[in-house]
Formats: sequence, C-alpha cells, structure tokens
Amino acid sequence: MALRIGIREGFRTITRNNSLFFLSLLVTSISLFLVSLFALVTVNLYHFLSILDEKIEIIAFMDESADSEALKSNILKINGVKDVIFVSSDQALKNLQEELKETEEVLMVFEDNPLPASLRIKLEAKSRTAKGLEEISSKIMLLRGIKETIYGGELVDQLKKITHVITVFDIGLLVIIIFSVIFVIFQTIKLTIFARSTEIEIMKLVGASNSFIAIPFTFEGIVQGILGGSIAFILTIITNRVAISFFSNVYFPQWWFLLGNLMCGFIFGIIGSSIALRKFLQ
Amino acid sequence: MITFENVTKVYQKDWVALQDITFFIEKGEFVFINGPTGAGKSTLLKLIYKEEEPTKGTIKVLDENLRFLKKKHIPRLRRKIGVIFQDFKLLQDRTLEENVAFSLEVTGTSPRDSRKKMMEILTYLRLSHKKFSYPYQLSGGEQQKVAIARALVRDPYILLADEPTGNLDVGSSQDIIDILLDINYKGTTVLMATHDLKLAKKVKKRMLRIENNKLFSDK
Ligand SMILES: Nc1ncnc2c1ncn2[C@@H]1O[C@H](COP(=O)(O)OP(=O)(O)O)[C@@H](O)[C@H]1O
Ligand SMILES: [Mg+2]
Repeated sequence: MALRIGIREGFRTITRNNSLFFLSLLVTSISLFLVSLFALVTVNLYHFLSILDEKIEIIAFMDESADSEALKSNILKINGVKDVIFVSSDQALKNLQEELKETEEVLMVFEDNPLPASLRIKLEAKSRTAKGLEEISSKIMLLRGIKETIYGGELVDQLKKITHVITVFDIGLLVIIIFSVIFVIFQTIKLTIFARSTEIEIMKLVGASNSFIAIPFTFEGIVQGILGGSIAFILTIITNRVAISFFSNVYFPQWWFLLGNLMCGFIFGIIGSSIALRKFLQ
Repeated sequence: MITFENVTKVYQKDWVALQDITFFIEKGEFVFINGPTGAGKSTLLKLIYKEEEPTKGTIKVLDENLRFLKKKHIPRLRRKIGVIFQDFKLLQDRTLEENVAFSLEVTGTSPRDSRKKMMEILTYLRLSHKKFSYPYQLSGGEQQKVAIARALVRDPYILLADEPTGNLDVGSSQDIIDILLDINYKGTTVLMATHDLKLAKKVKKRMLRIENNKLFSDK
C-alpha cells in the first residue's frame, strides 16, 4: 500500500514538477556522460599502450647454416622469453613484398633472396624494459648461429615514461571530474530540497512516517539516475561513432559501458536522494 | 487532554520564547491563545504537536508525556491532532480533493473508506462542488476550509489553529470561526492562536493571554 502510493507519488512529481525534474536529469546525464567519456578515453589510451607494449620484441638474425629448431628451444629456456617465432628468408621476403605491395619491382631488383632468416622473440611483460631487452639479447648473442640482434632499447623506456605521465594526468583528471560532478549534483539536490520543503513539511504535519516520505523521493532518484545513465550511454555511443570516423579503430566494450552507466546512475540516484532526505528526516 | 507544567522554551542563544507556562485544558474545550506578535503563541502550539521540544517543564498531550515520545512515534501523535495555519499550507499542484485525500493516504486508510469520509467532510464544509479546483482557483476562505477538511477527515481529538484568520477578510474570518466553534461543539478540543484581542473577546470562550513570553491571564 505505502509502496504503491510511494511510486504513484514519485511518478506524480516526475510528470508534474517536470521542469525541475528535467533540470536534474540534464545535470545527471551530463555528469555521467563526462565520467563515461573519461572512461572511453582512458580505456583506449591504455588499450593502445598495451598494443605498443606487446609489440616490444627482439629480432635475432641467424647464420645460413644455423639449426633454427635447436636455437628456438635454447632461446625459450632464457628467463623472460615468452615465445619464439621462426621467420624463414622466404617468409621475410614475402612480408617485405606485402609491406611494399610492389611485388614485380622487388622481384626484379633481387635475383637472389638477400634476406636472412630470423627469429622473432616475444617477451614476458616484466622483461619489456630497456634493461630486460639488453640482458636477454646479450644472452642470445652468446648462442652459436646468431649473427645479430636488434631491439627497441631506449624507445622502450620512452614508452614506459610516457605511460607513467599519462597515468598521473589521468588520475588527476579523474579526481577533478569526480569533485565537479559531486559538487554539481549536490547543488542540484539543494535546489530540489528547496522546491520540496513545503511538501515534506505538510507530509510530516499530517503524520506521514519517514519511510512514507522517503519512498517517492528515492523512487524518483532511482528513475532519474537510470534515465540519466541511459542518456549518458547513448551520448557515449554517438561519441564513439564520431571517434571511429577520425581514428578508424576505437576500443569500445559497449556492454561494460552500458552496465557502468546504469550502475553509476542507480548509485547516484540512491545516494542523491538519501542525502536530500537526511536533511529533513533527522 | 493537554497539560503544561512549568514549561520554558529557549531557542538558541538564550532567546526565550516561553517562560514558566502552566495550564490545563480539558477534553472538549475551546481556548484562545492570545498575545502580541512574538509573544510565543506559535511556539506553544508547536510544542503540542512536538515540532519543538521544551527546554524545561513537562507537557502531556492525550495522556502521553511528550518527553518520552520517541521520534519515530511522532507521526502517531500527529495523526490524532489537526493543525491549520495562516498560510493554509496546501499543495499547489494538487486539487482540493487530492489535498484532502493526501492526509488519509498517509495513514493507510483504504481508498473506499477515504472516499466516503471525504464526501462527508466536503459536504459538511460545503466544498463538494469545488473538489477538482486547484488552490490558486479558490478564495482565501475556501483554501482555509480545505485545510480544515484535511485536518478533519481523520477525526482528530485536538484541532490547533495558528492565526487561521490572519489572511482573511472579515466575512471569511467569521465563517472560519463559526466552523471552528461547530467542530468544537461536536466534541473536538480546539486551540486557536490569534493576536487579535477584539476577535478573541467577541467569542465568549476561555482565553490564555501571553505577554512578554509569560502566561499573563487565564479566563
Ligand atoms: N525556530 C526559531 N528559532 C529561533 N527563534 C524563534 C524560532 N521560532 C520563534 N522564535 C522566536 O520566539 C519568539 C516567539 O515566536 P512565536 O512563537 O512565533 O510568536 P508568535 O506566534 O506569538 O508571534 C519570537 O521572538 C521569535 O522570534
Ligand atoms: Mg505566530
């Protein structure tokens, strides 16, 4: 009974008091969209960095006479090596042709295949540093049948540094966004309290229990939060579409974003309405 | 029915609103609380429905010592007391009928019983034909009647009226006072606060006069 009336009252305020409802819905949507947008950028940044990170590898060129299988198993024994891929000289040429896409010319220039066979050495995450690369590569150089190794070296440390800086900025930005969102939502709640003070005063006067007063407000808060989350999600989808046209490849795990937006909206709604109510129902 | 024993109310910063007030009101009485603005009349009424708590002294309402009434049981007390104000305190976005029904829903009365009770009260106050009107479509006197209806649908034991005629012209004021007297005649205890001594004297009922925050006379 109380729940039924509570929900009806909640709907009433949504439909009748709508200018204020839409204002706070707007604020919630924009706030959640900001958080969502931040998450999209962050996720993509780290996704991109992790792709770069995984590309860190050592290439070892072999003597023509070397036994690739034996070398491969010896390299795999080195601490920090994840995988070794054999690239034959034929394969190397094919790769080059694909990259250049000018098959005829390349074939014409070289009578013989000048590319040596090589091993691409994939590393475990902990070894993907300048120091790790150097250590592993010097161990590989000691093996019989290896002509030369090449690797990123300094570039790798540069990447780590950039990742660090980005992380610091990212966290800083997150703190700023969270504080502004809380501030803005709090101001909106204050406005709502002000608009409703007479209503709550009358409810208390005629002997409404605290829960009777709380139900419509909480219901309204939840509806607003979930609606706001949905709008923020739609805005994020649109942003993603626009971003795709610029960057072609955008990482967007949409179900997680939908879930995150709805959850945040729900939590904002509940917390917001309880803060608003606590002022009245101490 | 209502007992005040040496009640003192001090708002923050030593601001005394009421000092050492003692009186007793029996069931079925009609009592004016009279005194100039700032005397403490509204405070006295607020103490009765526990909107405020006394700094000192004992208050008993309907055989209950309010000091021991837990916060969560205040709604139970308020359901037995009707209160009306100078500014009516109606919900502007609800019709007359919805404003009145509101106070029944709060107590969980079934819609059927609510409708029956409401019909009865609205007919008594001659408001039935306006039940779909919003407060802004009603005159001051009519709005005060809606507030009275909202209080009456729950058959209160006590009706508290804080300057109920303060915003009304002479004719409507008389209407409201006649209604309050009639409600009292039917058995409800009525307390009416007013600063208007002439009005209070015209109706020959008991009058508690408060001056300088103290009980000045009781006759
Ligand atoms: N909530 C409050 N906080 C502080 N002072 C108050 C409050 N309510 C009333 N007062 C003061 O208490 C005194 C009595 O006020 P009130 O009971 O409203 O008088 P009346 O209704 O007779 O005009 C006044 O001086 C008023 O300023
Ligand atoms: Mg007053």
